Amino acid sequence: MLAKKSVLKVAALAKNPQPPLISRTFITQAVITGLASHFIFGKDAQLADNIENGKYSNPSTKSNDTTSIDLFKRPMEPQYDGHVPLYLHEKFLMYLVSSAKSYYHPEDGINIVQLGESTAIPCCLENLKQIMLKDDVGRRILRERPNISSETLEAFRGSNLPPNSVGMTYFKWLDKEGVGPDTRAPVQYIDDPDHAYIFKRYRQCHDFYHAINDLPINIEGEITVKCLEACNIGIPMAIMGSIFAPFRLKKAQKERLYDIYLPWAVKQGLNSKPLINVYWEEIMHKDVNEVRESLGISKPPDLRALRKEQRRLRKELKIRYER
Amino acid sequence: MFRRVPPLKRINKASSNISTLGSSIVNVINHSKSTTPLLSNYYSTIAANENNSSTLPVKSTDILIVGGGPAGLTLAAAIKLSPNLKHFKTTLVDAGNLSENLPKFHNLSSSAYMTNRVVSITPQNMDFLTGDLNLPLQFNRIQPFDGIYVSDGLNDTSRMTMDRESMGNMVELLNIQSSAYMKLLELNANNNTNPIEIADNCKVVDIVKPSTTNATANGVENTNPWPYVKLDNGETYKTRLLIGCDGFQSPVRKYAGIETRGWFYNEWGVVATMKLEYPPFNHIRGWQRFLPTGPIAHLPLPGDWATLVWSTTPELSKLLVSLPSNVFSKLVNAAFILEDGDMQYYYRKLSDAAVDKRIFDEIIEDIDYRIEVKSQQLINKNNSDMYYVDENYPPPIKDTLEKSRARFPMKMFHADTYVAPRVCLVGDAAHATHPLAGQGLNMGLGDSKSLVSVLEKASSRGLDIGSVDLCLNDYWKDRYGTNMMLLGVVDKLHKLYGTRNEVVVGLRQWGLNVVNNLGDVKEFMMNVVSGRK
Repeated sequence: MLAKKSVLKVAALAKNPQPPLISRTFITQAVITGLASHFIFGKDAQLADNIENGKYSNPSTKSNDTTSIDLFKRPMEPQYDGHVPLYLHEKFLMYLVSSAKSYYHPEDGINIVQLGESTAIPCCLENLKQIMLKDDVGRRILRERPNISSETLEAFRGSNLPPNSVGMTYFKWLDKEGVGPDTRAPVQYIDDPDHAYIFKRYRQCHDFYHAINDLPINIEGEITVKCLEACNIGIPMAIMGSIFAPFRLKKAQKERLYDIYLPWAVKQGLNSKPLINVYWEEIMHKDVNEVRESLGISKPPDLRALRKEQRRLRKELKIRYER
Repeated sequence: MFRRVPPLKRINKASSNISTLGSSIVNVINHSKSTTPLLSNYYSTIAANENNSSTLPVKSTDILIVGGGPAGLTLAAAIKLSPNLKHFKTTLVDAGNLSENLPKFHNLSSSAYMTNRVVSITPQNMDFLTGDLNLPLQFNRIQPFDGIYVSDGLNDTSRMTMDRESMGNMVELLNIQSSAYMKLLELNANNNTNPIEIADNCKVVDIVKPSTTNATANGVENTNPWPYVKLDNGETYKTRLLIGCDGFQSPVRKYAGIETRGWFYNEWGVVATMKLEYPPFNHIRGWQRFLPTGPIAHLPLPGDWATLVWSTTPELSKLLVSLPSNVFSKLVNAAFILEDGDMQYYYRKLSDAAVDKRIFDEIIEDIDYRIEVKSQQLINKNNSDMYYVDENYPPPIKDTLEKSRARFPMKMFHADTYVAPRVCLVGDAAHATHPLAGQGLNMGLGDSKSLVSVLEKASSRGLDIGSVDLCLNDYWKDRYGTNMMLLGVVDKLHKLYGTRNEVVVGLRQWGLNVVNNLGDVKEFMMNVVSGRK
């Protein structure tokens, strides 16, 4: 049996002789790979890179030994207070992990924060910066760098806000939802200081978008506001969130979102003025309907009331037909 | 003094009989009106008043150059300097007051101010002007520059530096014109036998081709009749060769029936002479930034002067020319270093109807603030290099010379052919291009050089210099390809940088960075721009 097998093998080999290991094609490929990698990764190329990076032009007391790996080397110096510079692969890992975590636990603030910063690619923020620079108010915001925190907002509570003003609407909404104004997490992982400020401003204005549209802070309200932000401001995380987040919801919630609230958000976001150019601190005393008109937004149906109504209806129908 | 020197030696013996000429012109009038509509379509119409042609004699000349611009005057100087061509009787006609203005410019004692029409001349053409023609250029008004820095207006990091010693020279057009004119005067003074006749303050009224059936000599039909050029002072010249150096609206080209193909860009260029805050201390180079509205170029002049060519939309060009000079200077500084969003904001604010001093002051303050912030950001981003902004951005402008701001439309045109029987076109009469690559006058000077060599070749063989097949076609063959290529490349570059499409913008930024790092491609481009083959 074994002999037969080996005879067959020899016969097969005789018919189709295997090509020798060291053939012409192999040698050519090996030479080409060798040359290419020499010119890309070889010592000369490394030397050229080092000269271009200024390693040999600024003599310093630090040793220029390139053979040891510096475990604590960071991509750049911190550009602003609280800046944590990350390498590209670290940012990508943060994106993967935080997107998975945010999908299952969107209530945890850290996940959303990390997802937002890892997906805020420079070209989107640069685009936003140009939009702000073109506008009068946006320019002033970039120059004066106002900061919205819980202290600055509480200060408005004391001042005489006329009824029906933006400030009054905001505080009424806070009381309705049972929360207080909270300071948003600082920006850490975005490299350019201007972009970091723009992202911080975007985060801090999030509550105002809730208040001016009377959207609650449950998951549906958050998705709606995210969709509005996505269509108006164009932050990638908002776009991703408004597409993927509804998948986890119950049927009734999904229906409400897809039928009423997401279409409203898309229409409002695309047709209104850029919300990033609104100087909220200055319009706290202004009439809220005036502000809504000037921005081109209008309120959606009251989400809390709608939910209550639909729940009551469902219960009634259930009782009636499942007797 | 040299305007109307009568020729002492006449080469042409054929049509010396004035009365037959007069009658032949009269015959042509009857001819074109009655019997041959075809001919009257082909030949240009004859001027209504014929009283002048019968009183003044028709002057005869071998080479008539229409147009006393830089191309025309250098061509005249080259012809008079060439041993094979200087025996030809040459006349130069120009509508401007050359005899007064050009010597005045030539005798300017200092470079107290610089004119706003400045061009860049390649080293080859500079050799032609200073070596072959030995023109008495005013070198204290010429600035050689050692490189060009090109950047993209939508990005800070996409740029290309081309560095080469004396890559080009910035020369005022008046400098070239006046030095060529003085050279012609000098040649006339030295060579009394065949001086060039310069007829300035004379506008060409009409150019006429006499009909073939009547212009016969000794019974042989003249199939290549000499054109008759009528000037507004009543004189008429007939010439063996008519050279049109008369610019974009060339009447010579219209006479020859040569069509042009091309288009007007929807852009106007604003030129200005600017004073820098401090003279450039490290490199003397030209700077060009491709803004989305059009390229802005800052080119060095001697001392702390600089010249500006800013191509932009028609509305913006009107706005820029009308701004007060301090606002304009700040805006030029902003255009080179600030971002597109900034520029759009400034344009919008300044285009507002109710703009007044308060808004101007606000804008100046805002520009100063933004430039400071941006400079600091650039320094921070580039390893805290203190000299980053000085190395990579043009020296800031302090002020603009009053009355030096002007605007003109940008276009690209190319004549179908440069030659016709007894006619050839040189310079802007043959081609017009966008100034973004600084090639316009360089092409014209190349044309002059080539034409002179072609004429020399024909003359040394005793051929008729006005004949297309025997002489002039070589000139067209030599220059058409080169000029077409340059026009095409400049046009494509203009179109590439005229779009805001994100994909194209991304590709071109990446492409510019790649070319900046590829030494050989850059060498090739530098050779093309500086005229080396």
